[in-house]
Amino acid sequence: MTKQKASQNPFFTSLSRFLKRQYKNTAQFWRQFSRNKLAVVSLILVLLFALIALFADWLYPYDFVTSNSLNNALLKPGEKGVVSYHDKEFEHLFILGSDNYGRDILGRLVHGARVSMIIGFATVAMALSVGGVLGAIAGYKGGLFDTLIMRLTDIVLSIPTILMSIAIVAALGNSFFNLLIAISTSMIPGYIRIVRASIISIKDQEFVEAARCIGARDMRIVLKHILPNITSPVIVQSTLNVGSSILWASALSFLGLGILPPKPEWGNMLSEAREFIQYAPHLLFAPGLAILLTVLAYNLIGDGLRDALDPKLKR
Amino acid sequence: MLSQDIESPILQVSNLKKYFHVAKGILHAVDGISFNIERGKTLGMVGESGCGKSTTGRLLVRLHEADEGSIIYDGKEVTKANPREMLALRTKMQMIFQDPYSSINPRHTVSSIIGEPLKIYKKVKNSQEYESKVHSLMATVGLADRLYDAYPHELDGGRRQRIGIARALALEPQFIVCDEPVSALDVSIQAQILNLLMDLQEKFGLTYLFITHDLSVVKHISNDIIIMYLGQIVERSKTDELFAHPIHPYSQALLSAIPIPKLNARKERIILKSEVSSPINPKPGCRFAPRCNFAKPDCSERDPLLREIIPGRFVACHYAERFL
Amino acid sequence: MDRILEVNDLHVHYFSNRKTVLAINNLSLSMDRGRVLGLVGETGAGKTTLALSILNMIRAPQGKIVSGTIKFNSIDIFKMSKHELHDLRGKDISMIFQDPMTALNPVLTVGDQIAETVFKHEKVSKAEAWEKAEAMLETVGIPQVRAREYPHQFSGGMKQRVVIALALACNPKLLLADEPTTALDVTIQAQVLDLMRHLIKNHNTSVLFITHSLGLVAENCDEVATMYAGEIVEYGTIDQVYGNTFHPYTKGLFGSLPDYSEGSNRLKPIPGLMPDPTNLPKGCYFSPRCPYVMPVCKEEHPQDSIIDGHLVKCHLYRRNNDESKNR
Repeated sequence: MTKQKASQNPFFTSLSRFLKRQYKNTAQFWRQFSRNKLAVVSLILVLLFALIALFADWLYPYDFVTSNSLNNALLKPGEKGVVSYHDKEFEHLFILGSDNYGRDILGRLVHGARVSMIIGFATVAMALSVGGVLGAIAGYKGGLFDTLIMRLTDIVLSIPTILMSIAIVAALGNSFFNLLIAISTSMIPGYIRIVRASIISIKDQEFVEAARCIGARDMRIVLKHILPNITSPVIVQSTLNVGSSILWASALSFLGLGILPPKPEWGNMLSEAREFIQYAPHLLFAPGLAILLTVLAYNLIGDGLRDALDPKLKR
Repeated sequence: MLSQDIESPILQVSNLKKYFHVAKGILHAVDGISFNIERGKTLGMVGESGCGKSTTGRLLVRLHEADEGSIIYDGKEVTKANPREMLALRTKMQMIFQDPYSSINPRHTVSSIIGEPLKIYKKVKNSQEYESKVHSLMATVGLADRLYDAYPHELDGGRRQRIGIARALALEPQFIVCDEPVSALDVSIQAQILNLLMDLQEKFGLTYLFITHDLSVVKHISNDIIIMYLGQIVERSKTDELFAHPIHPYSQALLSAIPIPKLNARKERIILKSEVSSPINPKPGCRFAPRCNFAKPDCSERDPLLREIIPGRFVACHYAERFL
Repeated sequence: MDRILEVNDLHVHYFSNRKTVLAINNLSLSMDRGRVLGLVGETGAGKTTLALSILNMIRAPQGKIVSGTIKFNSIDIFKMSKHELHDLRGKDISMIFQDPMTALNPVLTVGDQIAETVFKHEKVSKAEAWEKAEAMLETVGIPQVRAREYPHQFSGGMKQRVVIALALACNPKLLLADEPTTALDVTIQAQVLDLMRHLIKNHNTSVLFITHSLGLVAENCDEVATMYAGEIVEYGTIDQVYGNTFHPYTKGLFGSLPDYSEGSNRLKPIPGLMPDPTNLPKGCYFSPRCPYVMPVCKEEHPQDSIIDGHLVKCHLYRRNNDESKNR
């Protein structure tokens, strides 16, 4: 066996070729995406939130934001107060003030960001897997499968989302996982529709016929030919769904289902702030603004993605 | 019935039919056609939109299931092949598609499009063999090496069509259905691709079914020509004989409709009446009769059969003798 | 003979992805009343851009008419107001677009679409406009009862005839026909062109017939111009250009035709591809592909040489021109 130089090793050459292709693709995508200044700003914002969510524990310890400190109740943003934490007493700057239990609002926002982020991505992942598979079967197989799945979808869609979520949580119990189920269920019909429509529009294209002609079987056709071509509507829908998922989680928590206090979540923070609108409005604005900015950012990213991904296909 | 062949033809099609069920009734896309193609030769299949030529092409490679009739390739019945037999047949019968913009996956690179058949049939043992095979296919069709990792959208129509041709050649087939392979290309690129197809035929001894609506293109590449109208064959002749003297009124009109890029060319043009009749629930009789300038009353009553008027020339017309 | 159209030194650019596409480069062209000029070229030559420029329909910010003038009946189109342009389009200058499937509005009846144009341009009542629409449909061979039908109820050939009726409804002086029969079957193409020839002769309409088919030009046009990379490289009457082709590109186009009346087996395509319009070669744009290329072709851009009204943009003929001057 002759030895090969590392640079000639077939594994390395195909790896480097793969990386070069990915770089080319990403560079081109970024060129298109970066034209939309709002989308870029939103992306930065979302990444910032993600970082903050990641390092939540370092910024504000969890037990600190969930324990009461009643002598510091309803402090205005920027005020200082003395807190007793793990038997130590020190002065703490409440950057965004404190709520009626004396808990640091910014700290709760930061932890709430983590919760929202997890809810957002987890529900989308769940809805996409279930909805995507069902939509793929309906679109590709057609016939009876299509009819069955679409009628089931119609039934789910005819139930008002709020009622359905309440019913699910009420039936399964009030836990984090059940909250995820409730939210993702409402998103599944959307994915079924999108994936099905995309597959229907692709499966009659000539390159799918060509794939069949060279002997490819159904599995290969769906995985290698059809799926890569439907990524853009799915990606766009997903970013928009992350935003709306966060909104739903907030709404449900606001209503008392989902994440309950003292666990910090933007929705239940809003709920608790209701009584104090008149004399401590910062309790309301802080989580409200956080929700607004996050959902807006995801929507703008979704818009930017749609513009960046579609023309490439047309070209 | 047919003139004697020295060796049996590589492809024998008999009474092939394909119907589609549509809202208004039954669409007779291909309505009982029969033809043979001999090894190493090219049969040109010419007709306008709706004549069934593309459907026929797809029936041959089993992208559609025939409703009736038989397709015998090298002794094997294609219409009744089971999945395993079909896989084996696909290595011998391939297709080149019309639209270079939609017949290759926009998300795959040039090399993965060309090499996919190799992967499906596990024709190569390792990645080195794969690469060298793909590079050699690219060279055969005239694609530069540096395009190995390129994406289709970076390339023009002519190059994309070469990708489709390379893909069709990957499994070393003997028979290729060319479905309007140059219709979507510019004139000078058309010429390049036609030359390529003719070179490949010479080099590899390929047999072609060349489907097109453009009679001028088919003259160069075909040995024999079939003219189709509304799912049926109206004339079959050797290329030279057809161009020198078309018999069926439709063939005459088709030939006369070709614009000639010469000074003082023929000015008398046969203009057909009205439009193509509907292929849905066709009435009995000759389907061309409504547009035929020579139609007689009985043309719309009895179906004309394809018959050998003079040796080697087949025409489906009750009054074909009048046009000799 | 009136000069109905005069294009002088036209430059049109498109902007995309930080690159500039040089779509039309220093193009000059003129047409007289009642003449049919065939404009031949391949994809990317700039033919449709030229047609749109004549209608002043090049949209900013993607496109821009950088310099040059276009005069219709001696009036500068680029200096017209929006109102004047509105009056011009559809009435004096009309266009037939390439794809009949998408040129018609699917939610309006064909009668309405023709009547709309008549109503807008001629001072008639809506009822009179409708009558005119029905009459136009009859002239293109569509029974007037079908005026109330929608485009999807017509076949491709009939749709194109509706488009022709629409374009000729207000009796334009200049018709821009952009590949009017490319999407049609050959026998329908023959029908439609026969009809068009008839109508054009009757009304003495000037036609700019854009196509890639040298055959169609020979049969339908009086004059022909070949376009390459945004320039006109050859121009003359049909007799001149077909009888004695000058420019190597035009020769190449003829050579790559599968000429069915000759017996040769292999075709003679022009090697290579059209140049990248964002990066045109130095000197003559055709030089990389030209079988007659000389050193000067790669350095200097050729000027127009006119021999008895037969124009060619090529260094080969410049030498001949100079020689004839020196005699």
